[in-house]
Amino acid sequence: MFDLFTDYTLRTVALGAGILGIVSGVLGSFTVLRQQSLLGDAISHAALPGIVLAFLLTGSNESLPLILGAGLAGWIGTLVVRSIVRNTRIKNDGALGLVLSVFFGVGLMLLTYSQSRPDASQAGLDKFLFGQAAALLRNDVITMAILGGVAIVIVGLFWKEFKLLSFDPEFGSVLGFRMGAIDILLTTLVVIAIVIGLQTVGVVLMSAMVVAPGAAARQWTDRLGVMVCLSALFGALAGVTGALLSSTGARLPTGPMIVLSASVIVVVSLLFAPNRGLLWDRTRTRPSVLPAEEATS
Amino acid sequence: MAQALTTESLSTAKSSAVSPSRPREGSAVSPRDLAIAVMDLTVAYRDKPVLWDVDMSVPSGVLMAIVGPNGAGKTTLIKAILGLVDISAGRVLVGGKPYEEQRRRVAYVPQRGSVDWDFPTTVLDVVMMGRYGDLGWIKRPGAREKQAAMEALEKVAMTDYAHRQISQLSGGQQQRVFLARSLVQDADVFLMDEPFQGVDATTERAIVTLLQELRDSGATVVCVHHDLQTVTEYFDWVTLLNVRRIASGPTHETFTEENLRATYGGRMAWLKSASQTERSQD
Amino acid sequence: MGRLTLRVALAVCLLAALAACGPVQAGGAPDPEEIARRQIKVVTTIAQIGDVVKNVAGDRVDLVELMGPGIDPHLYRASEGDVVSLADADMVFYNGLHLEAKMADVFEKMQGSVTTVAVTDEINRDELLSPPEFEGAYDPHVWFDVSKWMSVTEVIRDSFVDLDPQHAELYEDNARAYLAKLEELDLYVTEQAQLVPEEQRVLITAHDAFNYFGDAYDFEVRGLQGISTAAETGTADLSDLADFIVEREIPAIFIETSVPERLVEALREAVGARGSEVSIGGSLYSDAMGDAGTPEGTYIGMVRHNIDTIVAGLTGRSQGEES
Repeated sequence: MFDLFTDYTLRTVALGAGILGIVSGVLGSFTVLRQQSLLGDAISHAALPGIVLAFLLTGSNESLPLILGAGLAGWIGTLVVRSIVRNTRIKNDGALGLVLSVFFGVGLMLLTYSQSRPDASQAGLDKFLFGQAAALLRNDVITMAILGGVAIVIVGLFWKEFKLLSFDPEFGSVLGFRMGAIDILLTTLVVIAIVIGLQTVGVVLMSAMVVAPGAAARQWTDRLGVMVCLSALFGALAGVTGALLSSTGARLPTGPMIVLSASVIVVVSLLFAPNRGLLWDRTRTRPSVLPAEEATS
Repeated sequence: MAQALTTESLSTAKSSAVSPSRPREGSAVSPRDLAIAVMDLTVAYRDKPVLWDVDMSVPSGVLMAIVGPNGAGKTTLIKAILGLVDISAGRVLVGGKPYEEQRRRVAYVPQRGSVDWDFPTTVLDVVMMGRYGDLGWIKRPGAREKQAAMEALEKVAMTDYAHRQISQLSGGQQQRVFLARSLVQDADVFLMDEPFQGVDATTERAIVTLLQELRDSGATVVCVHHDLQTVTEYFDWVTLLNVRRIASGPTHETFTEENLRATYGGRMAWLKSASQTERSQD
Repeated sequence: MGRLTLRVALAVCLLAALAACGPVQAGGAPDPEEIARRQIKVVTTIAQIGDVVKNVAGDRVDLVELMGPGIDPHLYRASEGDVVSLADADMVFYNGLHLEAKMADVFEKMQGSVTTVAVTDEINRDELLSPPEFEGAYDPHVWFDVSKWMSVTEVIRDSFVDLDPQHAELYEDNARAYLAKLEELDLYVTEQAQLVPEEQRVLITAHDAFNYFGDAYDFEVRGLQGISTAAETGTADLSDLADFIVEREIPAIFIETSVPERLVEALREAVGARGSEVSIGGSLYSDAMGDAGTPEGTYIGMVRHNIDTIVAGLTGRSQGEES
């Protein structure tokens, strides 16, 4: 445990994973409330062709162009989803699934094609599939912190707008807010959160990080502000715990450890949270409830 | 129930209903006196007409019901006025000006089922949302907004529930919360979608009183209403709608058996009793 | 845009399905008379093998090398074009010992219709290294021990002689000359290795490709990623290695051309955080060779480049490449 402070690598990875957890927790709260949990999955899978294309076009294996490619592709994916929902009979979940599989498929195709190029393996493109957290550099963590910080500040600024978007977008529209723009803003922030996480947990696992902390937090509170903060906390906890766990043994991959930690948090929340937990009623002895008390709902 | 109307049948059919609210030539009511003026409104969804060539004039200071069978386009009409759905043809004026310029004056009370009441927020929070429009972008609601929200909650007798989770509310309470949200807006035109749907008797009486108070203070209130039995008792104006506007005007003139039959189609026992209620009150 | 997207997606799916059903033609065991008259179609996986083939058979072969410079053989997936080339060939040489991990079932399908040779087959199993994590399987990176690659040369020569007995003399002459060169190379590497003081004779690279090198030339070898680059490194592995580097005062670590640099870079930062400094000694060719036409594009050139870089890096003489 103390290694967390003394060991440079563990510290760096834990910090990066923690930032990832916070940002995906905050933004994931909104996607969970808007019943768009699949969105994180779709965006992270859609990012793959962007990563490979960025490499093919620039020939560079620096983080920055690849991250930008990932973000752009993920963002375009969300626009395609909106377009499909608007212009065809296909509903939101169908559109998300479609974009997810088609983009990812194209990404895999490009990945296989790119391996015939000499420096492709050097770019470590396949590492984006499951992440390679141990390879986080100081600069990576700084980038994550800046991007994540910006995203959180924006959430703070547009708090009431995001609340409106998640609860009653039509009402917001009537009030005069451009709900379409707010939707795109929130989705863009989700793309940023995902892009932050790609190098740590990878494309395939990132969707869990967007959904798990928010879903877990919902179990414990009925206030939006508390939920978002709790979600950030759970995300950070999952990140740091995952990093710690993977450092205890040889060849324990960090990304999956983080996601496992997040999953444990979700299961515990589902079972044991007061009021909403599945086992909550069974674990306490019920005193006889007065009729007056029951009439509140 | 009226049959599904296709674009072809509509363009060739002629409406034969009586519509006493149409201003006679030479004594036209100017649009500015009308709270809401809907002209030639057509809304179609993938070649299926939802509203066809609808004219509706709502004078200021009335309490109007919009009635019609399922699929008549009542909710769509409200949403079209509010700019929430795309209009294929026609236009809407509020107080003589386009709706976009008059947003502040119009308050919307949507159907209860249009939101997820499991959302983590309190009653007070929801009511304060009505003030967001005046706050504009980014600014947070403060003490003033809270004050206005509490006053609105008092008008619907829900102040005790201010900090209650909305998931714990009954249907009637939910409806009152939505109403309070519309009251904080300082609006003088209210569009409500089925405000009496699924509420208990006490709440219904309370809501009617509130609406009538609003009308008496000069506001215009338009409600999509589902219960034909209470139209005559609650509303002074009514619009009968079934994709086309069948009739529109003061209740005692417009809410006739003939118009009802034209709206709902076929003979139904309750239609008779509905119009009987109206006749017995004359 | 919606309709169009759908149609494009469907078209892509259909095309992929059709491509998967392409016809594959098998080459049979050719008749010696017939094959003596023409070029032999050979397909190799890694270029190290291809280089030997070129030296043994010269112009007699029409060679297709599946994995070029910078390609990682642990992760390489055969494309449809590759499978066609393989099926069309007279002879296929591959490393074996699970190096070409993702092509295992392709080779299985080829058996019977095409002559496939795992060039490491003749190496005595006692001489192969078997790292503990690999559970009984052998470390496949045998080409770093030049003497083992001499055995590979003999296997390739014998395969050609079997297939094309009419030119047996040619193959034997070529092989003899090449083996002499390899012998020379082996000596050179051994000598150069001795230039590095014993305590500093530690080679740290991105993955465990150099075990045979260490074994043959008396180096201690540590890699970040284990035998295969498909595995993900854990933070503990990185930390332990950083500790090791500081403890033993190792001056340089090395990146590999076919493996991402980031991991080695992270290792360097970890060492830096411990107050020490380690430089990136240079880039080594591990699973892949250099560009064709350059000295590093040949086996001999590649091995020389490696040992020169390692010696320069570890004896403190900087040699250009510093990331």
